[in-house]
Amino acid sequence: MTEIHLNGKVVSIDAEPDTPLLWVIREHLKLTGTKFGCGLGQCGACMVHIDGETTYSCLTPLSVVGDREVTTIEGLSPNSDHPLQKAWVELEAPQCGYCQSGQIMRAADLLSKNKNPSHDEIVNHMSTNLCRCGTYPTIVKAIKLAAEESENV
Amino acid sequence: MSDNKAVPEQPLLDLSRRKFLKGSTGLTFAIGASGFISALGVAQGTAAFSSNPGEALQANMWVTITPANTVIVKYAGTEMGQGSMTHVPVMLAEHLDADWDKVEVDIIKKHDMAYGNPVFQNMLYTAGSTHVAVYGGKMKMAGAQARKLLMLAVAEDWGVELSSLTTEPSLVVHAASGRKINYGDIVGTMALPTEAPAVDKSEFKSESAYRYIGQSVMRRDVPAKSNGTEQYGMDVQVAGMAYAAIKRAPVEGERPLKVIDTEARKVKGITDIVTLPYGVAIVGNTVEGTKKAKALLQVTWSETSPFRQKSSDTALEEYAKNAKDLSISGPAWILGKGKAKETLAAADNVLEALYTSDAAYHAQMEPLNATASVSKDGKSAEIWVGTQTQSLTILGSAETLGTTEDKITLHPLTMGGSFGRRSELHQQFIDDALLVSKALKRPIKVIWSREDDLEAGAFRTAAAQFLRGAFDKEGNLLAVHHRVSAPEVLPTMNKLRWETVKPRDVIAMMGSENSTYDIPNHLPEHVVQDRCSRVIAYRGIATSYTKFAMESFIDELAHTQDMDPLAFRLKLCRNNPRMTKVLETVAEMADWGRPREKGVGLGLAISGYHKSLSAGIVELTVDSDSGAIHINKYWGVGDAGRIISPRNAQAQLLSNIIFGLSSALKEKVEIKNGIVQQTNFHNFNILRMNEVPDIDCKMTATNNHSTGVGELGMAMTAPSIANAIFSITGKRIRHMPLRPEVVSAALKS
Repeated sequence: MTEIHLNGKVVSIDAEPDTPLLWVIREHLKLTGTKFGCGLGQCGACMVHIDGETTYSCLTPLSVVGDREVTTIEGLSPNSDHPLQKAWVELEAPQCGYCQSGQIMRAADLLSKNKNPSHDEIVNHMSTNLCRCGTYPTIVKAIKLAAEESENV
Repeated sequence: MSDNKAVPEQPLLDLSRRKFLKGSTGLTFAIGASGFISALGVAQGTAAFSSNPGEALQANMWVTITPANTVIVKYAGTEMGQGSMTHVPVMLAEHLDADWDKVEVDIIKKHDMAYGNPVFQNMLYTAGSTHVAVYGGKMKMAGAQARKLLMLAVAEDWGVELSSLTTEPSLVVHAASGRKINYGDIVGTMALPTEAPAVDKSEFKSESAYRYIGQSVMRRDVPAKSNGTEQYGMDVQVAGMAYAAIKRAPVEGERPLKVIDTEARKVKGITDIVTLPYGVAIVGNTVEGTKKAKALLQVTWSETSPFRQKSSDTALEEYAKNAKDLSISGPAWILGKGKAKETLAAADNVLEALYTSDAAYHAQMEPLNATASVSKDGKSAEIWVGTQTQSLTILGSAETLGTTEDKITLHPLTMGGSFGRRSELHQQFIDDALLVSKALKRPIKVIWSREDDLEAGAFRTAAAQFLRGAFDKEGNLLAVHHRVSAPEVLPTMNKLRWETVKPRDVIAMMGSENSTYDIPNHLPEHVVQDRCSRVIAYRGIATSYTKFAMESFIDELAHTQDMDPLAFRLKLCRNNPRMTKVLETVAEMADWGRPREKGVGLGLAISGYHKSLSAGIVELTVDSDSGAIHINKYWGVGDAGRIISPRNAQAQLLSNIIFGLSSALKEKVEIKNGIVQQTNFHNFNILRMNEVPDIDCKMTATNNHSTGVGELGMAMTAPSIANAIFSITGKRIRHMPLRPEVVSAALKS
């Protein structure tokens, strides 16, 4: 059994050390908000935070997680009320929605380090994440809105 | 629909018109994360008449109202990000004057042609941006009828004139006395008319009284898609299930001859290796185990498939040769007009041009997957899957198992994108799950890798198009002959539909019809070719390549007349005020008449989709050495009649322009000896955020019938770019996608 720190709890998993964290989260622990898109670190649908840094869970073996804190979309906020999630809803950012957990996790990483990112900073930071529906412009708007709302708090 | 048990007719106080779902408090619904009645774990009540007050009223086939004041609207489609799971039911709620917050949406899970989509032979089918156009009228009538039924009950109960009653959201109001009653209490306490009331057009809610239509009601699926709780096919968990990875023959038509699985079976958690007609399934208790074992499996494949001889470059050359060979004729597509062939044969100057386009991959973000549980006798199954068609999934699965449709229980789930990919009668990934579950007698979840998704991909076909046109002496465009050299798609995609429409293949030909321009002689002709890969519908169906050819050719025709591309199109649209307005609007947004500095090009193209119309203008520069295109700005305008949700319509137009730009500029699928060369997003590139240009687009509000908004942006992108490049270089790019090597070669020619 391997123990990891996930969304504020310690959980035990019976999985091989080389198992990608993605499958540990999704299929062993049934937290399916984190998505499988490419398995190759190309699309960002699988992004989680490890000690606050966005990480491709599809490329991260269970063995390297150690005692660092893993946060998934389910653990981002207590009541789906992270400023980004509120902005995502307010602007209706998702279409098919499949990439959006990864998009939100990626954006949360940005806002945690840069409270008021410029347009170009947002675009450059977010270009790791693919959206086939083409919601990119709305994602940019939602990040700007979340940044403004956070400043007003 | 379930059977109804009739009871004797009685006067008004009798409740025999009331149809109830089982259980005295109405329904036990599992509400999904989206607020929709979930595909998972729904208690399907048995519909039956009853005279017990306090039960749910099924006012008509579309809407049920419970005593708890909940309105349940049936939805005939499935959701893949287009929004119609919200905006079609919104139309019913509007005319019922229901409180939208009290509405639940119930996806129909059966193959019930009473709810079918008439564009698709009454199959339950979500495709072609058809739902708003096709179901809008039904929603209006069903909502209005249910509203009138409730008001008649109140008029009788309160002894007042029907005309003295009005409604507020989910309330019937008698203004004179100030009395109000909510819909649930009417259903729970009052007698209802024995006859479903007829509704006259004059009784429909007037547009000025709309509360929801035109107000951008938020899509129901948005909150769950913002916190990770939306349930996709990929997320299904069924008790006792095992995972299966599929090692499929790398070339279509081959089969496994010899399987060496010694090493694969040693991987922890692997329980079974199942040989299928077209591949091998690796089954185990973990996803990671099946993936690891798949890589260790050694399979010797047959080498007899004719697809081993297929390569995309030689196929396209063949398509092009045949497109230009006028001795080869084929079936005419719809809306031909006049005598194009004869007119062109008699014309002095005929302009001819050949356009080619590569195959295209959907690249939906959710790799294909399905979960199935086949009964021990192999004759019935439960299936959890994201699909664009309940009907075909049920019919195709029944055929695969050699059983009848009533033995298939379908749980349709949200799709992580689809764009036509999940629209076949026989979907490979569903057959995978069915066949393995049948063999092992346990539930099986099949997950394709991204590599599987490309390797076994069904694509928008490659095509070559040969266009010919001629003017009369006064410079009026007399005739256009549009030859589309491409395979038939429907025979393999959906043989049931093909039988009803052949030889007209909408999937290969759509958009080659001319419903926009005033051209007295027009012939769209399908030059039928052999397919080079698996083929299927794609976003925009064939319009993504037919409009590339036609709108490039229109520019070429304009050039021969020394006419401005906008003025030329306006002249051809002089009898089409809607298209004229769209063109004028986009030209104004782009300030079309303003000269750009040297080296900056402007290009225009129109598109359309069923009755919806669109036009786009691009401003760009091009590097003549590398062929790299830099888009300064894209402007787009759409007209889809009365818009149900302005925000969703705008989002669809904008995002479809982005999809179109990605497809037009970057995406290429190559096939060599039957094997797809692209394997994942590192070598099949789609547009990333930092590559999206500045886009300004809008839907124009018109009072025309509401039509689709999901595929308006796509098809105008490639031709507008090609036309813009011509405007600065004088060179035509007649191949799509307009990748740098294609542009560079054309500029150097």
